[in-house]
Amino acid sequence: MNTLFRLLLRAYPRAFRERFGREVVDQAVEDCARAFRRSGLAGWSAVAATAVDLVVAGVAERWDPAWRVDDNGRTETGVGMMIERILRDLRHAGRTLRRAPGFTAATVGTLALALGANAGIFSIVDAVLLEPLPYPEPDRLVTIAASAPGSDFPDEFPVSAEFFVHYGEEARQLESLASFNSFTATVRTDDRVERMRMSMPSMSLFETLGVEPELGRLPREGEGGRVALISHSLWETWFGSDPEVLGRMVWMVNGPKEVVGVMPADFRFPQDQMAGWVPTEMTAGDITPGQFGMSLVGRMTPDADVESLRDELAVLARRLPELYGGSPAYARLIEAHVPVVRSATEALLGPVRTALQVLMAAVAVVLLIACANVANLFTVRAESRTRDLAVQRAMGADRGRLVGGLLSEAVVVAVAAGLLAVLLAAVALPLYVAAAPDGVPRIEDVHLSGRTVAFTALAALATALICGLVPALRGANADLGRLRDGTRGSTSRRAWGRNALVVTQTALALVLLVGSGLLLRSVHGLQSVDPGFDRSDILTFQYAPDQDHLIDGPTWARFHLDMMDRLRALPGVDAVGIVENVPMDEGTRGVEYFAQDRAADAEGGARGSLTFAGGDYFQAMGIEVLQGRPFTDDDALEPGHVVVSRSLAEALWPGEDPVGRRLSNSALDAWHEVVGVVDDVVQNDLRSPPDALAYYPLVGPEVDSWALGSPGYVVRSRRADGLMPEIRGLIREAAPEAPIYRIHTMEALLDRSTVQLRFTMLTLAVAAGLALILGAVGLYGVLSYVVGQRTREIGVRMALGAEAGRVRRMVVRQGVGVVAVGIVLGLAIAFLATGALSSLLYEVAAVDPWTFGAMAAVMGAVGALASWVPALRASRVDPIESMRDG
Amino acid sequence: MAPDSDPTLTGLEYHVLLAVAPGPLHGYAIRDAVEADSRGVLNPRAGSLYRVIARLTSAGWLTETDAPDPGPHPGRERRYYALTPAGRGVLADEARRWKGAVALAEKRLGRRPS
Repeated sequence: MNTLFRLLLRAYPRAFRERFGREVVDQAVEDCARAFRRSGLAGWSAVAATAVDLVVAGVAERWDPAWRVDDNGRTETGVGMMIERILRDLRHAGRTLRRAPGFTAATVGTLALALGANAGIFSIVDAVLLEPLPYPEPDRLVTIAASAPGSDFPDEFPVSAEFFVHYGEEARQLESLASFNSFTATVRTDDRVERMRMSMPSMSLFETLGVEPELGRLPREGEGGRVALISHSLWETWFGSDPEVLGRMVWMVNGPKEVVGVMPADFRFPQDQMAGWVPTEMTAGDITPGQFGMSLVGRMTPDADVESLRDELAVLARRLPELYGGSPAYARLIEAHVPVVRSATEALLGPVRTALQVLMAAVAVVLLIACANVANLFTVRAESRTRDLAVQRAMGADRGRLVGGLLSEAVVVAVAAGLLAVLLAAVALPLYVAAAPDGVPRIEDVHLSGRTVAFTALAALATALICGLVPALRGANADLGRLRDGTRGSTSRRAWGRNALVVTQTALALVLLVGSGLLLRSVHGLQSVDPGFDRSDILTFQYAPDQDHLIDGPTWARFHLDMMDRLRALPGVDAVGIVENVPMDEGTRGVEYFAQDRAADAEGGARGSLTFAGGDYFQAMGIEVLQGRPFTDDDALEPGHVVVSRSLAEALWPGEDPVGRRLSNSALDAWHEVVGVVDDVVQNDLRSPPDALAYYPLVGPEVDSWALGSPGYVVRSRRADGLMPEIRGLIREAAPEAPIYRIHTMEALLDRSTVQLRFTMLTLAVAAGLALILGAVGLYGVLSYVVGQRTREIGVRMALGAEAGRVRRMVVRQGVGVVAVGIVLGLAIAFLATGALSSLLYEVAAVDPWTFGAMAAVMGAVGALASWVPALRASRVDPIESMRDG
Repeated sequence: MAPDSDPTLTGLEYHVLLAVAPGPLHGYAIRDAVEADSRGVLNPRAGSLYRVIARLTSAGWLTETDAPDPGPHPGRERRYYALTPAGRGVLADEARRWKGAVALAEKRLGRRPS
């Protein structure tokens, strides 16, 4: 309350606020506290009246201090008077509603649930999608990547260094251009060591984004690779926010760096949980064209736009082979090259946007259904008061006042529901966010903001209008004709209105059901993809030994072979292997492969990924060896051999035996002999087909390749879950300085890969469930009401000999008929709407007849059930009682 | 300044001045005094009351003063407002004006002063 009043105080001019602000708020709070002591209703209306007075008086003081305060102690404006009258209506409505606790609880509860869901999802949408990026003029920031339609490159891929240099020098629509990356690396001080997320951007990154360190300075020219900026959270957790951190040497990535600055807490480029940035400088001599893997972010000039920049870059890129040389394959790629320029906001948020938009739409639909229910309850209530209202009209009450009075009830209900919704969201939001999957950008920022409260207030008012206006207008039309009749029979027009509500509810609920059904099938589909390796009994972890003698491939390989032997000696361990990139955990590098016997024809190349493996990797993972043999420990010590996956073998030597053939790749100058072929595995994404993959032995493709790597260990054991303490003990003996991290079971990694989809699916399913229940309640309510209205008619029928079964069927038929119309409409809407889901779906069409049919059946069954209870009641009507009641 | 050019007081302004006539009061006490003096007819809300206090202060009729004695909530000092000599004059003028008006009304209505 204090906060609210302090907020409203801003209506006053500054000078007034500074002088009297605190007293005004104290007094306002005291006023309301006193009113609350009398009753809750008095309290809330005092809050409302005080709030209105603050705003009106504040605005008056600001515009024209000569506006007097009248003898009621209210600032004299027409608005104030009108608001006073509205408040009086609201107070009256509050009292009326208090006399109907059942009705009030049902309407407030229904709306609070629906509004709460909206407030919660809106909070997330607000923080994740709507909040602008925390950089000056974020609209001018773009990310730049490459595409080459018609080639075997991915749809979109990062550029290589020559693009960065050439664009940076030549593009006139770019004010500034920076490269960046993000990876996990070791961060070490004297007393701590951990693997953390780091970036080695170009020196220009901070200028491009327009950010400054909160402490210290940006790196200067010539310092590239030697200095570091650290994140606010690393500064806090590791250095106790000590300003003396500047100038300290911290081991980062690949050597000691001097800390020159601390970045502000909201600087999280390129992603959350960054620990530090080591800017680097590039020299033109370093560039080998075609080493794709560099991400770019640029700041456009104020008059540029994404399309014109794309056109300019397309022209610039054409000259790259001429300037930097490269293979014929590179020249062909550049011919097909089309730059991909995206606004940075879109690039960062694109992947979660669809999911969040779907959820926002889903909760909005739930709110509509809730509105329909509440509107229906209000209509029924207004009808039961028809007589009352007709009398009031006859006595001269003007129509506006009657509408106002009836609308006030809806407003009171909606406002109460809105308050409750904000409370609900405040409680549930942290739980929901904690359950949200990794990889949703900015999810850390999600909180119940002022904007969410404002949004909920608006939604509540809109709800009040929808729920209140229809019955209010109808009630205010009550005339003396109806009074004279004395009957309460429902006219066909009204029945039509109620049926329309049920049809709408059914249709909307069905759309949500179909949507969650489609996602459910996708989740199921993804979970039944065969990844090519075993799911269970596999433990993976990484650790990064960093010892002075591990300087070349063979020493390094020997160290790990020895480590694997020790692990194998643990009780219950069946096999131990090493791989550079654990499937489903870290991505692999893409390269171009060439078969030696086809090297003359560069067309024979194939895109594929590169990793390295050792020990019993294939056995530990349960990857089948199809031809030849897996690696031996001898392979691990000397480069020369390679194991390929089935799809790489098929791409390079279709229909031939690859064992004994030789291959090379675009990142390498040597040929390696294929000793074995293994089954394909899904390395990154269950949705995409398995990568063509070559496994190099531990020593690496060249003797000095892997001296700084931190491999993933794969341990196969029935005790996979409980093995970690023993492993830690062994590692502490062998390499006490090495951080152990990324500890997962293979099962958990597979689960994690579908968690985002499962989370969306679950949320949508909850929304659909809510919609289904609300829809059923709505139908039940309408039929109960109709049965109530027709008691006399049913009584007559029964008296004339109608059987109970027939009466039941009559009522059920009416309910199911309405539901059937709703189902048809719902299927039609779903047919048009599920396309929005298509980017989330896996192996199920957006218009999947099976899902559509099943969900329609569920809806129909629930409809029949909801009709059955009132039907049962109808069949038990006692003819004599019904006559007596009439 | 608006109040100087328009020396008549609204009812609320009159009652606020009247409330502090016996001695300095803080905002809330002024509000309660106004409500009591007017027998509940005047019941100003915080936002509007302070507009009146601001106007009377800038007209030089009210002034802020120290608390007469430490209140029941030490540490939560409140501002007290006291009547200035000018304010006392305006209040007296107003009271005289009312008195004249009342006397005239009673005469015309034929009621005898009791």
